Amino acid sequence: MTDPLTERVREPGQAEWDVIQAAIARLRASVMAVVFGLCGGVGLFVATAWLLLRGGLMVGRTLSLLGNFFPGYSVTWGGALVGFVYGSLLGAAIGFAFAWLYNMIADLRDKD
Amino acid sequence: MPDPAQTDKKCVIIGAGPAGLTAAWELCKADVPAIVFEKDNIVGGISRTVEYKGFRYDIGGHRFFTKVESVNKWWWEILSKEFIERPRMSRIYYADKFFDYPLKPANALFGLGIFEAIRCGLSYVTAQVAPTKPEMNLEDWVSNRFGTRLYQIFFKTYTEKVWGMPCTEISADWAAQRIKNLNLMTAVKNALFGSGKGKVVTTLIESFHYPRLGPGMMWERVAELLTEKGLPPRMELDVVRITHDGKRVVSLTVRGKDGVEHVETGTDFISTMPVRELVHALDPAPPNAVLEAADRLNYRDFLTVGLIIDKEEIFPDNWIYIHSPHVKVGRIQNFRSWSPFMIPDAKKNSIGLEYFVNEGDEIWNASDPDLIELGKRECEKLGLFKAADVSDGVVIRMPKAYPVYDKIYKNALQTIRDYLTTLPNIHLVGRNGQHRYNNQDHSMVTAMLAAENVCGADHDVWAVNVDEEYHEEVSEKEKRGQELTHGKRGGGDRLVPRRLDETDRLMGALREAFARYDAVALGGSIGILLGGSLFLATALLLLRGGVMVGKNLALLANYFLGYEISWAGAFLGLLEAGGFGFIFGFMLAKAINGTIALHEHALVRRLEVSATLDAIDEERQ
Repeated sequence: MTDPLTERVREPGQAEWDVIQAAIARLRASVMAVVFGLCGGVGLFVATAWLLLRGGLMVGRTLSLLGNFFPGYSVTWGGALVGFVYGSLLGAAIGFAFAWLYNMIADLRDKD
Repeated sequence: MPDPAQTDKKCVIIGAGPAGLTAAWELCKADVPAIVFEKDNIVGGISRTVEYKGFRYDIGGHRFFTKVESVNKWWWEILSKEFIERPRMSRIYYADKFFDYPLKPANALFGLGIFEAIRCGLSYVTAQVAPTKPEMNLEDWVSNRFGTRLYQIFFKTYTEKVWGMPCTEISADWAAQRIKNLNLMTAVKNALFGSGKGKVVTTLIESFHYPRLGPGMMWERVAELLTEKGLPPRMELDVVRITHDGKRVVSLTVRGKDGVEHVETGTDFISTMPVRELVHALDPAPPNAVLEAADRLNYRDFLTVGLIIDKEEIFPDNWIYIHSPHVKVGRIQNFRSWSPFMIPDAKKNSIGLEYFVNEGDEIWNASDPDLIELGKRECEKLGLFKAADVSDGVVIRMPKAYPVYDKIYKNALQTIRDYLTTLPNIHLVGRNGQHRYNNQDHSMVTAMLAAENVCGADHDVWAVNVDEEYHEEVSEKEKRGQELTHGKRGGGDRLVPRRLDETDRLMGALREAFARYDAVALGGSIGILLGGSLFLATALLLLRGGVMVGKNLALLANYFLGYEISWAGAFLGLLEAGGFGFIFGFMLAKAINGTIALHEHALVRRLEVSATLDAIDEERQ
């Protein structure tokens, strides 16, 4: 017994392959928000924690500049948790906006 | 047109529904003898009225409203004094509340209560911000336009009850055709500001005519007229075979309840019987391809549980749509609202609970007492009345009430039609006769045309109503009296959902699996985000101020020429980072698409090899 896809290949079905190849991927905004949020939050937490574990005299001098954008963030264990929250929220917002923008532009181009 | 009275014409008609009886009466008026054979013991087909202890039941509810002037004239000629004008009222019943039909957003949102309304609003916003793409099925299509919550309440349950399949299996194109240019925002705008001056507003009819004693009265009267002319419909005779000589149909053989067969010859034959049964009745049998095509035609069946209630008033509507998922009933007819003459006792009422079923399923096979109990229970559950208020009940089954338009029906029907062109003296008319979702008036038009064809005309019966708007919609322009041309005899074919088949699903999965990224969209979105982020970061530092503002961020000037922590630098950064983001996203999309193409190519190669091996195996067997 052959499966439908095999059957399709056996019969030329070029038009259908053309339709498949013309399909444009869409991004799921909710998925992108979760993925970017996790990356942002965990990324900033790990970066902060890594510097804290390594220790030193002027620990995380450059990373702590993020405090300019994230009020309350610093290279401390408390700051790592604050950074996790900020990173997650900003990441989620960027992820969502990214997918939304992509889908919107793709839809506009699709209509043309 | 030749004078039929001079040509020894004799027509044999299968079925005493609206199409069969219309054809018979039209031929009778043209002096062509027409003999009608009906397998049931009652005339009217699905437009019959069933009487039970003096209470009259209309199967499905038949409004006598048409855009076709010739049909309207016909109705009035037959039943002029017996017509009453009735207001149309039908609403949706959900969660113990009535909602306007068609849905009005304000009415729906107020009726649902504040929390449910907020939920609907939020799900609508979500659907607008992140719609499901691509729209593969009815659920995707409706949810994207109205929000998931409104879809669940007002679309999902009823649609699934009527068509007997999940909304996820119904093709989205049906909704796209049926619910044209409508979404929640448009509906709200229309409700608040109207739909614009000069625009044609489509609306639903507000009143209709109805025979005093139900639609069956029309067909009982036609049967009486035929009897007066000496051509009474022959009842309770089942078609056994339709004999032909390869060029023409020559006779019809029917069998009565006593098992005695009767052969009727004729010069012409008009069939309203289901196409599937017609093809199998042909003798000699058609080629296998035609028989197989006939077997591919499917039907949806219908069952009414009539209940007699010891209450004068239940609800004012002609019928209500039941959207509750907790009961199986799909629609409830209120016969007192159709016509008070259908209820013999002023202190009682009679309703018809409609169940959309498949012949042979659990509900269809249930015993009448069980179905009456089910009806009583469901009405009590819905809060309409108490089961104890029901004094009696009756069950009316209507097989093959709706021809199913699945993906294969069109080709199957075409195969049958092509074959039947070899037998030019058999004419297919009516709903089941043409396997087409015709309303009563459309069925009558096909019968009128077929009758004229029998008398020598050359109409294309299949061309009736192919491209018209849905029957029930009538524009303001038409309401002012503009009628469709007689020649077109339009009225509108009903749109019926098409089930997504294996190919649709497979194509959907393949499209999703091998979908390419739009390079411009990916570049654009990354560019906007990157440029925007740099602009915002620069602006934030500038607004905060300080002595050495943005010393570290200014290092980006190593990559973005001319960039600095100033307002001009912020705009320059926006452009440069935006451009960089666009190029990066564009190339990323191209790289991903290239990888997808490689995977696709590998899959095709693998399948080709597999198909070749299968072919070799088959050769060996």
